[in-house]
Amino acid sequence: MKRFSQIYLSLLIVFMILWALPWAYNFLFARPNKTPFVLYSSLLHDFLLVEYSEANGHVRRDRHNNRYTEAQTDSLLPTFYMRLLVSNGRWPDTLMGQPVAPHDVQRTNFNFRAMAADINAPRVPLYFLQEAMPRRAELEMPSDVMRFTAQGVEFVDMTSNTIDPDKSLRYTKALTAKGFAFPPRYVAGNPSTHKDYDNGLLLLDARQQLFHLKQLRGRPYVQPVAVPDSVRLRHLFVTEFRDRQLLGLLTDSCHRLFALRADSYELVRTGVDGYDPEQHNMTIFGNMFDWTVRIAQPQTERYMALDATTLQLLDTLSIATPRSHAMPGMSFRSSTNPRIRPRWQ
Amino acid sequence: MLKSIALKEWLKTRWFLLLINVIMLGSSGFLMLRMHRAMDIKGADHIWQVMLLRDAIIVDSLATLPMLLGVVLALVQLMPEMHRKCLKLTLHLPCSRLKTTSAMLFYGVITLTISFALCLGLMHVALRPVIAPEMVRHVLLTTLPWFVAGLTAYLLAAWICIEPTWKRRVLNLALTAMLLRVFFLSDTPESYNGFLPALTAMGLLTCSLVWLSVLRFIDGHQD
Repeated sequence: MKRFSQIYLSLLIVFMILWALPWAYNFLFARPNKTPFVLYSSLLHDFLLVEYSEANGHVRRDRHNNRYTEAQTDSLLPTFYMRLLVSNGRWPDTLMGQPVAPHDVQRTNFNFRAMAADINAPRVPLYFLQEAMPRRAELEMPSDVMRFTAQGVEFVDMTSNTIDPDKSLRYTKALTAKGFAFPPRYVAGNPSTHKDYDNGLLLLDARQQLFHLKQLRGRPYVQPVAVPDSVRLRHLFVTEFRDRQLLGLLTDSCHRLFALRADSYELVRTGVDGYDPEQHNMTIFGNMFDWTVRIAQPQTERYMALDATTLQLLDTLSIATPRSHAMPGMSFRSSTNPRIRPRWQ
Repeated sequence: MLKSIALKEWLKTRWFLLLINVIMLGSSGFLMLRMHRAMDIKGADHIWQVMLLRDAIIVDSLATLPMLLGVVLALVQLMPEMHRKCLKLTLHLPCSRLKTTSAMLFYGVITLTISFALCLGLMHVALRPVIAPEMVRHVLLTTLPWFVAGLTAYLLAAWICIEPTWKRRVLNLALTAMLLRVFFLSDTPESYNGFLPALTAMGLLTCSLVWLSVLRFIDGHQD
């Protein structure tokens, strides 16, 4: 027993040193990386980088090291700085050869963020299905939540904590009639009243088929979506951008990014590859001309510019982001996964 | 002999055990009552939405309570033993020293486990009628590491209490603080699910450390 206790104590001490020492070192000496703010400029046909250093202040430049003033940068990124340009009376009549009003920019601009930590977080398997065609103008949260079982879908009334058998049967029948195989492998939605409209849920059924589910005036709306055999969808994100062009963004097992058109249910392969939502954080700044996709990986930030109409790749940029002075060691936490477990990083 | 040891521990700790149960059940009962009141005032759907969309688990103020109670139980149980070296008498009972020490620790672990189980049971009974079973499971699984921390804190506090020298006690305290920190690294509900079995094993195995302190006590180590 004594030997076992001594060995166990030694193991605990080693374990704790491997954890605490790198933490203390990094706490004291590691410096954050100052990565530039990067956006693609369709006017410049290049990425525009805004960097900050204490010595030089803000430096705005493109990849060929051409420097720009603050006012020039505003004009080179007109959709991003639209409000500023309008308030300064510098808003142009046309952009890229076409007349553009500020409200067109407002309608087509969007930001999208997908954080690996959110995707990897444990979730309660209960979902909100909002009314997508509300009688009044505002969206409301539903009075029930839905749960999927191997047999169908159940709606649980939140006030009474009981299952609504009629609604459950109605939705189960509607889904089954369209060939949905229970239980789903993935359910995605954006339950919120702070959005302009509701796109419902995107579901991957037990056979890996993609479905769109909405509630319209209390009735189920189910639409199967054709997906090529070569695409095995892995992660789904419902989007509710103001221009209503897209239903969602999707990734497959090869870490390719797809967009699902709202009007035609066409699955469009974008120019973004190598995006693993469980490992990487993705941010998209979109406007009517281009999307700037930023994929943050542990040692690199990858930027991809896409044509906003075709979603094909226009340009790419990689910026190395090594952690300065970081001491490797054991850690229980990860920036991309909130689940606690020992990791070497 | 083991029965007699259990009786001895019971006589030392019975009032404190009553207090532990009152505190545990009182705190969790208050939180349940508060949630039921919030449901009456704001509506059940508001509470469901907050729990499902904002990761609220309602009972997070309980987090460190089991750990504190574990530490205090160890002090209540073992401080009288260390006072004027009464532990010497206990270790000279006609029973192996390892068995005697194990019986004392087993008593503490079992009584704490019963108290924590009562608390979990109360939460289950109070939550089940008003929220979905998936949400009840979510809340209870989130609280589990706190209760394991309570048991680990009890064993580690016992290790520190029985240690005869202050120098070593300080080292033990440093290691204890680090080990217990592991249980409180994340606010994300259910973030310990995968690691909890290993963490529980690690926590319960710390009972073996107490034996090292007992051996040092028997060997007559002093400051």
